[in-house]
Formats: sequence, structure tokens, C-alpha cells
Amino acid sequence: MSAPGSESGTEVLGADPGALTQRYRQARTAIVGAADLSAAQRRAALTDLTDRWVRDLFGTGATPGVAVTAVGGYGRRELLPGSDLDILLVHDGTRSSQDVAVIADALLYPLWDSKVPLDHSVRSLDEAASVAREDYKVALGLLDARHVAGDPSVSSALAERALADWRRHAPQRLTELREAVRARAERSGELPFLLEPDLVESHGGLRDTVVLRAVVASWVADRPHSAAIEESRSWLLTVRDALHRTTGRRSDRLLMQEQDEVAEVLGLLDADVLLRRVSEAGRAIAYASDVTWRSVDRTLASRSRRSVFRRRPSRRPLADGVVEYEGEAVLARDVDVTDDATLPMRAAAAAAQAGVPLAVSTLERLVAETPDLPLPWPSPVRDDFVRLLGAGLDGIPVWEDLEASGMVVRWLPDWERIRHRPQRTPIHRHTVDRHSIEAVAEASRLTRAVDRPDLLLVAALLHDVGKGWPGDHSATGAVIAQTLAERMGFAPDDVDTISELVRHHLLLPTVATSRDLDDPATTALVADLVGSVQRLDLLAALTEADARAAGPAAWTPWRAALVRDLTTRVRRELLGQRPVEQSSSESVEPWARTLAGTGAFEVMVAAPDLDQVCKVTVVAPDRVGLLAAVAGVLTLHRLEVRGATVDTVGDAAVQVWRTVSQYGAPPVDHVVRQDLKRALDGTLDVHAALASRAKDRRRSPIRSAPPRVSLVPDASHTATVLQVRAHDEPGLLHAVASVVADAGVCVRSAVVDTLGADVVDVFYLTDRNGRLLDDDAAHALRDHVVEAIGGRV
Amino acid sequence: MKLVTAVIKPFKLDDVRSALESFGVHGMTVSEASGYGRQKGHTEVYRGAEYTVDLVPKVRLEVLLDDADVDDVVEVIVKTSQTGRIGDGKVWVTPVDTVVRVRTGERGVEAL
Repeated sequence: MSAPGSESGTEVLGADPGALTQRYRQARTAIVGAADLSAAQRRAALTDLTDRWVRDLFGTGATPGVAVTAVGGYGRRELLPGSDLDILLVHDGTRSSQDVAVIADALLYPLWDSKVPLDHSVRSLDEAASVAREDYKVALGLLDARHVAGDPSVSSALAERALADWRRHAPQRLTELREAVRARAERSGELPFLLEPDLVESHGGLRDTVVLRAVVASWVADRPHSAAIEESRSWLLTVRDALHRTTGRRSDRLLMQEQDEVAEVLGLLDADVLLRRVSEAGRAIAYASDVTWRSVDRTLASRSRRSVFRRRPSRRPLADGVVEYEGEAVLARDVDVTDDATLPMRAAAAAAQAGVPLAVSTLERLVAETPDLPLPWPSPVRDDFVRLLGAGLDGIPVWEDLEASGMVVRWLPDWERIRHRPQRTPIHRHTVDRHSIEAVAEASRLTRAVDRPDLLLVAALLHDVGKGWPGDHSATGAVIAQTLAERMGFAPDDVDTISELVRHHLLLPTVATSRDLDDPATTALVADLVGSVQRLDLLAALTEADARAAGPAAWTPWRAALVRDLTTRVRRELLGQRPVEQSSSESVEPWARTLAGTGAFEVMVAAPDLDQVCKVTVVAPDRVGLLAAVAGVLTLHRLEVRGATVDTVGDAAVQVWRTVSQYGAPPVDHVVRQDLKRALDGTLDVHAALASRAKDRRRSPIRSAPPRVSLVPDASHTATVLQVRAHDEPGLLHAVASVVADAGVCVRSAVVDTLGADVVDVFYLTDRNGRLLDDDAAHALRDHVVEAIGGRV
Repeated sequence: MKLVTAVIKPFKLDDVRSALESFGVHGMTVSEASGYGRQKGHTEVYRGAEYTVDLVPKVRLEVLLDDADVDDVVEVIVKTSQTGRIGDGKVWVTPVDTVVRVRTGERGVEAL
């Protein structure tokens, strides 16, 4: 048997096709089995060998007007051991169809008999163009057309026409192609995060590289210039080559049971290293793909706009220094990037909450030019971080971009250990890093069930951070989470809560499925470890978020029922131990108490502190509607409420508000005081002013969890407690307080907290005589509040 | 040949498995199940329960046995999974016509 690649290629038309095919198959087996060839060499050798074989079968006699063209992967000279041959027999229409049929049969029968997997067609130049117009997949394949045998001028004509048509019909083709890319990503998942990725079909895989070339060829957009993409593509082809050779099959899915062997063939340490490198390659390609498609969308949109409207696209402000432009978040024109360490986090949070991606150029500038954050993080940065996490599913693309650019690792150094890290358990679908952000997305839908949504979101992000280290990842993770929470500047109690949540994130499902729930010792054990109802609620939400993110097998109704049973029992145990509520008026400062006693009406706006927070203190004679008026006036002055405590001292109300001025300097004391007086005596219609503002404001496009309004029984013996948990919106507090005022209910005290993008408000309410509301009144009030803020209980 | 099926409380699974293994039974099928009996799933009265409890999570065990072993195995399962409180579950025995080991094609008692 002659060595592969040494065929003389001078066989005459009519030579025995059977013998030719026999020699081809033998040579092919030798090439596939050769361990000393690199994947690239093997591809080239297989292509050359196959070309020679096809040419020999076709014959070397002159056949004007007919050509054999390789399309698709074969056209790209990318024949892998498991590849199909994509062959197009094309003719220029000068021959009769019988003629063409004879030539086709002479070629195709031997090809079919060879049992080599084959994708063939026979078409005239016109027919090929017409089919390509109907089917974008055919058009895509033709872009890679390469002459193999016969009349070269026909092959050139085919290729030129295919490219010209592709460019001419680009808007329609690209729209179809885009939809196909999206559908394929949904079907086959995202390569960087799957534990058993399809190297070709998954998003970020080889098909996406072909699609990218086609997009570039259309002249509509360019892809990012990066050696990383070419390297990634080459690596995936190498892995695919090893996979085909190891399994002997044509499948492109890198199944777990094959990963060790493939790793060995490639000379890698183990399957984890293999998967990690595949994941990195997939991420580079997926990112390039996403960025290119956004560019395509912009170009196509502006083309259509130019032809119809003549308006320039608007720049909508999202946050200080960040604007939305053509569907992306970009930096405002006058921003000094090198001076503002808080800008990246702010931009990320604004983009995520607005449901738009960060522009590539913006992200690159932020990564390259901004200084590192001070440690611990200042509270506006922490708030922005929580807002970024709270954007849920719609925030994941922004997070992934930040992750890919290296920004996340700058913020959280320990994140490096879990990047691209595979998890070898049957219930997980994703790498640890992706699983973590998916858990955050699930947690963002559960924020209404907890008092501290910010702690829930951070704990969800960090719950598996210990998986990058050997040993019990819950214990290790608790230590790492503590360090990171301190880094973020959380208060010591909050740091402790986050750390404990990570430490015990598997406690509830483990106990629920392996211990006797009827045994009081079981409940006592968990109650001991958890410590408080607040932590229990957080832990229950974290458990559900983690399980839902892992995959469908992890949060079945069966498992959910067991966990809920345990949680109910533990909650009852903890409630029985709760100390009596302290009266909140003890927290009012003495000077305010004195002022309150004089019947004064005062508003004091302090200058912004280091965290940009302006404290606004209001001391005024108490009356129904005061809270609503103050909330409304503060919002009208563009002061964002971060928190507030409202108390009653005798006949006066003392309110301390922590606010942040949205744009520019905070308002002056007496202006606010005047507006408040006018609001109270009716000359300023706060409601109408807020309503007209709301009309101009664009509704947040992200899907946040619906608000939850509830009465908290047994929380106080002297007041009815109403709790509101909702997505932060300007005017929300005013709306709630107005409903309360309209019902003639007094707010004895209140605590308002904005945590990231979520608010948690607790109101202690009494009737005009200072007594608890009766049941009917309380429920009616709750229903009205629900109606006012558009929520469901 | 017989099939012994047991529906037991989830937390008892590990105990029953160890006991069966000590006895000499080396294979079984385990699945998550939900169910209720005469008490309709209530083990106690819940104050202000947010959901109606009628389908309670259980675990189903299935073991294929030679006739001679059935009584002993049933005894082991019952003794090990018993807590004395309602919701302990049930064990039942059904006859089996054919058993085949997939890998080798062996049939009958050889396949157990």
C-alpha cells in the first residue's frame, strides 16, 4: 500500500472507481490514525487526499461548463475524521440535462458506494443562486465554495455570484441568520458554561466562527480584531479532531465520559483542564459573536433610519457620566475616566437596570483607564453592585461582558478560582462561575421574601466561591465570603450574615432529606445554627435560588415540599424565642426631641458626606399626610431616598432621611421647607407633579419581581405593621404614604431602606386614637396599597 | 421471583439501604414519590398553613428477590423504617414472571 499523499493523480477517465475508492479509504484510515500529525496537518492531508480522489473519479478529461465544487467545511479545507463531504456539481447551463445527468451519475455513484458521508447536489449556476436566495444555509455554504475538479471558470462564476448576492441581500440574510443563531443558542446552550458542550452547535462554538466570517463578508459589520478568536477556533478544531478520533463517531458533543480520554490524546493533565480551555475558547468566540451582532443591529437600524427619518439617535442619561446611545450604555462626553474609580460599577449597574449592554469601546476604556476601587468599597459603590446583581436575568449579559473583560476579577480577586471551573455532579448544568450568576438571577426573583435583598444577592453570588479550593466548599466559602464582604464595606453584622449564609447554604436541603422532621431535635439543631427568623428567610431563599439555578432535578416539588416543611417548623421554633419589639422612638436624638417639643416646623438639608449622602431632617407638627408630603417633595427635588426613619415624639413628627442628590448639588433648606408647606396646605399638587414626571420617564424594561405588600401579625402590640417590598421607583414611597393618608391612618413610625434596586419599607400604623387598626381596616388598607403600586400579594 | 416495593419516609432511606446490604441484598431501585394515607398527610395541625398538605414526599424502594428471601427482607425493611408515628408507609409484595440481566442476557433467578 502506498504511503498517504503519494497518489500520482494521473489516472484516466474510466479507471476502476472501486480500486480508487479502496485506496482512498486505506489512505484515509492511515491519516486519521497517525498520531504524529497535528490536527491542522491532518485536516490539510485529508482535504488534499479527498480532492485527489474526487478529481480522479471525475476524470481529467476536459469538461467545459461543468465543475465539481467543494462547499461548506470541505470548501474551507476543514475535513475532520467525522466530517461530511459537501459537494456541489455545478454547470453553466450550456449542456443538455441528459449530458449533465450522465456526468453526475459517473461521479456520484462511486461516491455513494464508498459509504463516505456525503452531502451532494447538482445545480446550474442559476439554480444555485435561486436556492441560495430561498435558504440562507445554502447561501452560507456557497460562500466557502472552492474548485476541486472540472471547469474552473464555472466554479469562479459560482463563487463570485454567491458573494455578490450575499452582499446585495445582506439585511434580509443577516436578519434570518441572526434569528437562527439565537434559536441555536437556545437549543444547544452556551459553550463556555456547559459541562458537555457541542463543539460545533453550542453558542461560542465552531458554527459561530463560520457565521462571523459570513457577517464580515457581507460588508455590513466587522468583527473585533483579535488573535484570540483565531486561536480559539483553531483550538476547538483540535479538540474536535481528538474527539472524532477517540470515539470513532461523528458526534461533536464532548460528553463527560469521553473527556478524560480526549484530554489524554491532547496531552492535557485531565478533563478539568480540557474543559477549562474549551470554555475559554468558547467565551472568546461568544463574546466576539455578541459584539458583532450588536454592531450589525446598529448598522441595519441606522440604514433604515437614514432612509426614512432624518433624526439623530438620542442620548438618554442613565446615571452620572453614563448615557444610553443606540441601545448600548456608553460614557457621557465630558467624563474623566482616569479620575473616577467608582465609574465602572456605576456604569455596569445603570446598564444592567436599563436592560442594555455596555458598549465594547466603553468597557475597554473602563478596564484600561480607571483606577482601582478604594478598600473597603464606599457605600455608593456597594449600592451599585447590589443594583447590578439585582437586575436578574436581564443583567446576566452585562455581567458576562464584565467577566470576560476581567473587571469582575479586579473587584473580587477570589473569583479567579471559579472561572470556567467545571462541576462534576449530575445535577449541575453549568460551570461554577455561570452557576453563581444564575443563582443571583433566581435570587432576584425571591427578593420580596426577605428583609435584606442585598445580603441575599451577595450571598447567592458567593455561595460556591469555595469550590475553587479543595475541601468542604461551604466552610472554605464562608471564609472567602467574609473577606469579600469586608472588602465590599458591609457592616460587621452583615458580613457575619453573608458568611453564615454561605457556610449553611446546603443545610436545609441536607437536613430535610436525611433527618426526621418530626423529631424536635432536628428543628432545634437547625434553629440553633440559623439563629434568627431573618436569617432563616434569607437561607430559605438562597436554598431555592441555588437549586433552581443548578437544574431541573435539584428543585423538584418533592424536594421543595421537604425544605418548606423544615423551614416552617424552624420558623415556628424561632418565633417562639423572639424578644419583644423595642419602641422605636428611643432612637430619636435629644436635640430633635427638644425641637419637636416646641412645635417648630423645620427642614434641615445637610451637605453631602463622603458617600454623597445628604441627611435631611424634618421636624414638624404631626398630621395625617405629612409622610406622603415629605416623600413627594424630596422626590420632586430629585433626591433619591436611600433610607429613612420616621418617629413620633408627642405631637410632633421627627423624620431623618438619607438621600442622594441625583443631579448636581442638593436643594437649599428653605426651598424644601417652603415646598413642604405648600404641599401640606394644598397649593402644591405633589401628586400631579410626580405623575407628569413619571410619564416622561421610560419604564424599566427589566423584569423585576412583583411587589409584595403584607401585614405582619404579632410584630407589635401597639401598632399595625405594614411591610412593603418592591423594586425602587421614584415616587413609590409617596404613593404608599398617600394611600395610608387617604385612609385616615397615622404613621406612628416607619423604617425605609433602599438596598440596591429594591426597597424594604416597614410602617407602624395606628388609627386616629393611637390604637391598632381593626382587621377589616388593616386588610382594606393593604389592598389599596397593592392597587396603588400595581402589585400582587 | 418476587418484587418487594416499599414506600417509606425519606430520611429512613440510608438506614434501610445499610440494613439490606448487611442482609445480602445488593441491588435496588430508588425513586422520589409523593403520597398520603388515611391521615391525608397531616402529621400535626399547622397554624395558618399556607398550603394544603395532602401529598407528602416519600421514597419508593423496589427490590427483586428469590421467593425464599422475601419474608426476611420485608421484615428488615419494616423494622428499620419504622418510627411508630403516622406516615411510616407500606411494604407490599408482587409476583414477577421474568427477569433479564441486560448486559449478559441471563434470565430467571440467575439474573437476580
